[in-house]
Amino acid sequence: MKTYIASRLAQAAVVLAGVAVLVFSIMQLVPGDPVRIALGTRYTEEAGAALRERAGLDQPVLVQFFSWAGSALTGDLGVSFRSGEPVTALIVERLPATISLAVVSIVVALLIAVPLGTISALRPRSVVDGVATVFSQAGISIPDFWMGIMLIVFVAPLLALPTGGYTPLTEDPAAWARSVVLPAITVGVTSGSILTRFVRSALLEAADSEHVRTARSKGLGRGTVLGWHVMRNALLPFVTVVGVQLAYLLSGVVVVEIVFSYPGLGELALQAVQARDFPLLQGAVLLFALVFLVINLAVDLSYAALDPRVGTR
Amino acid sequence: MRPTTSAVPPVRPVRRASVLVAGVSALALTLAACSSGEGVDAEGLEDAPDPSASAEDAAGGDAPAGTLVAALANTPDQFDPHATTSQASFQVLENVYDTLVVPSAEDLTFEPSLATEWTTSEDGLEWVFTLREGVTFHDGSPFDAEDVAYSLNRIIDEELANAFRFTNVTSVEATGDLEVTITVSAPTPNLLANVGGFKGMAIVPSESAELDLATQAVGTGPFELVSTSAGGVELAAFEDYWGEGPSIEGVEYRYVGESAAALTGLENGDIDWTDNVPAQSIEGLAQTEGVELGQTGGSDYYYMAFNQTRPPFDDVDVRRAIAYAVDRESITEAATFGAGTANQTAIPSASFWASDYAPFDQDTAQAEQLRADAGAEGLEFSVMVPDSDEPAVASAQVVASQLAEVGVTMDVDTVETGVFLDRQGQGDFDAFSWAWVGNIDPFDFYQAQHLTDASSNFQGYSNPEVDELLTQAASETDQDARKDLYAQAEQLIVDDVSYLFYFNPDVVEAWSSSVSGYTARPDSAVNFETVTLTD
Repeated sequence: MKTYIASRLAQAAVVLAGVAVLVFSIMQLVPGDPVRIALGTRYTEEAGAALRERAGLDQPVLVQFFSWAGSALTGDLGVSFRSGEPVTALIVERLPATISLAVVSIVVALLIAVPLGTISALRPRSVVDGVATVFSQAGISIPDFWMGIMLIVFVAPLLALPTGGYTPLTEDPAAWARSVVLPAITVGVTSGSILTRFVRSALLEAADSEHVRTARSKGLGRGTVLGWHVMRNALLPFVTVVGVQLAYLLSGVVVVEIVFSYPGLGELALQAVQARDFPLLQGAVLLFALVFLVINLAVDLSYAALDPRVGTR
Repeated sequence: MRPTTSAVPPVRPVRRASVLVAGVSALALTLAACSSGEGVDAEGLEDAPDPSASAEDAAGGDAPAGTLVAALANTPDQFDPHATTSQASFQVLENVYDTLVVPSAEDLTFEPSLATEWTTSEDGLEWVFTLREGVTFHDGSPFDAEDVAYSLNRIIDEELANAFRFTNVTSVEATGDLEVTITVSAPTPNLLANVGGFKGMAIVPSESAELDLATQAVGTGPFELVSTSAGGVELAAFEDYWGEGPSIEGVEYRYVGESAAALTGLENGDIDWTDNVPAQSIEGLAQTEGVELGQTGGSDYYYMAFNQTRPPFDDVDVRRAIAYAVDRESITEAATFGAGTANQTAIPSASFWASDYAPFDQDTAQAEQLRADAGAEGLEFSVMVPDSDEPAVASAQVVASQLAEVGVTMDVDTVETGVFLDRQGQGDFDAFSWAWVGNIDPFDFYQAQHLTDASSNFQGYSNPEVDELLTQAASETDQDARKDLYAQAEQLIVDDVSYLFYFNPDVVEAWSSSVSGYTARPDSAVNFETVTLTD
């Protein structure tokens, strides 16, 4: 097991290095001079040259890359040249908001997907299944920016919820919940709809397998068959999908964050793109890659716990 | 920067194999979702009845009461007044810092602020400012001439955003405890605009080197910066302010990019003030109970410029043909839903510097004649427009249809703002269309755009007569003579169609009826000093 984890960590490091190179190269190809954008309408040649020098953009590309990558290894992701603040600080500042939204959204998604998917799978092609299918189709099809705006315009005034913003959990738990609930519903409904379909098909597939037929023919009760033989076997692919969804949400949900003026990582990344804030964008993308790798690793390791067959080799 | 929402719903890969792909596609999406940009932020708009004018300040000497919640459409980039170029930053800093002089809310002429009076030497080369007594910074330290010298020299020496405003300035020196002398290399009649046009030339304490001005603010203004976060900023009334002082306890700014959210919050009472008012919602808001709409003629302007360094637009008659083909009224209507004023020059009619020069009323026969004479049959070109600016895009679409009527094909090339700026700088365009913001002095309206080889003369315009007039005007100290010089230069610029000017958009802001004493200003500065809140 230890060698397995070690080799996975080594792989992750290689992937991260690859991402760093890729991100840096893409930045060079994106049209639009960051200095011109930073200075906007107040751009002059002199002001441009001064900023370029301060930001190190007058150095050769390779020098820029290695000096960035070198300090990134020590956790120093450089200084945002839009705001003049350290990139690490900017990202850390937004982490609580993003983690809150991701976790609450996943909870909302699971609350929708598990019951709905299970009911559908228990009675395939029944009326209940039909209703669940329509619901999940709608959830997938409704654009989240539209749903967000509908919630803001109609639901927020009705329930006296804020129309946007974020209150830290540590500051006021009640206000935190109120600030997270609408964005989390917006994200959770879409995620939940995708998961519903997944739960349904995973359960159906498991229910169709030979060992389940055997269990049934042994005369085991419905509940036992479902809980012990079907669900446990459907769990592995399910955990994988939930893991990917969580990683996706942790990388920031740009559209929903913007609609709800929610200060998360997605909005930060978007700002960075618009301002061609290379250090900030590089830092953010590197973090997103790291999140995917870590969660992916955690999912793989959880297999061993969930399914004894995986660990034995 | 004006963030807009993307119409592209996120793609959520569900298969295990695509885990990394998901990370990369998240990046791609971020890039694709980037439909907005930085730069010209011509929020703007004109004279509906100003509701705040009747709302008198009721507080008088009472203790400050209430916190005003202001929703900003855009997010500030940083809070160093000398380094930022973001309009949103200044919407906050306006309340935190002071400048030597300030533009008045009515006609933008300069009034005393940290300087109580000033004199100019006979030869116009020396300006002496007498500073206000008894002013303290937010950290309690006293304000004096050293602070002024430090602040302005900081902009000049470190070549910060507004250094170009000081190109004539040879020295800024403290010549007394409360006296500052600015020496210039040539008479500089617009010096007041250059030191006090907006808070980009704010006075910071001379000990600022020890502060991180990007995140901290120590000013002399009516409010002090308490805290900043990713979602907003908090200001508190400054007790020792030199003026009357605010009658509210503080201002909480929130960054609300989605206008539906800002306006719903305003109707609910969550938000007291916002500048996030899209032109199409003005009419509805004007009829909304409990919401006041402030609309005043702005000093921004929209225009189209042609690449004069190559055919066909090196021929002035081709440019004039276009000028005769457009109808500014319908452009203004489409771009601002009526919240703007058509103008054939850059300077809005309310300005002291305005002229009523308007030679190009729509005349399609004349347009076709000019085009035929110039031999530009089947004229076809492309106009580059930044996708972040809705009025600019709408203007281009209207112009395209108007040009089609005189047999000219204009493709509207909507590009991402960063790309726009890049191509503009490289001269890679047939024509481009955008806006300039926040101008007070005619120098700001014309110098950098129309002087031969000037920094923003991307269109490659060159007319020695205009150069002569602009240069003379820049150092003419007699106000009327100066106005006359600019009027002459302006006529040539318009006649030569160096820019094809469209309109001045209004400044439009909305606030709750519980707010009184607030006015939407023509320079779109947002000042809460005189505001009171009632329930």
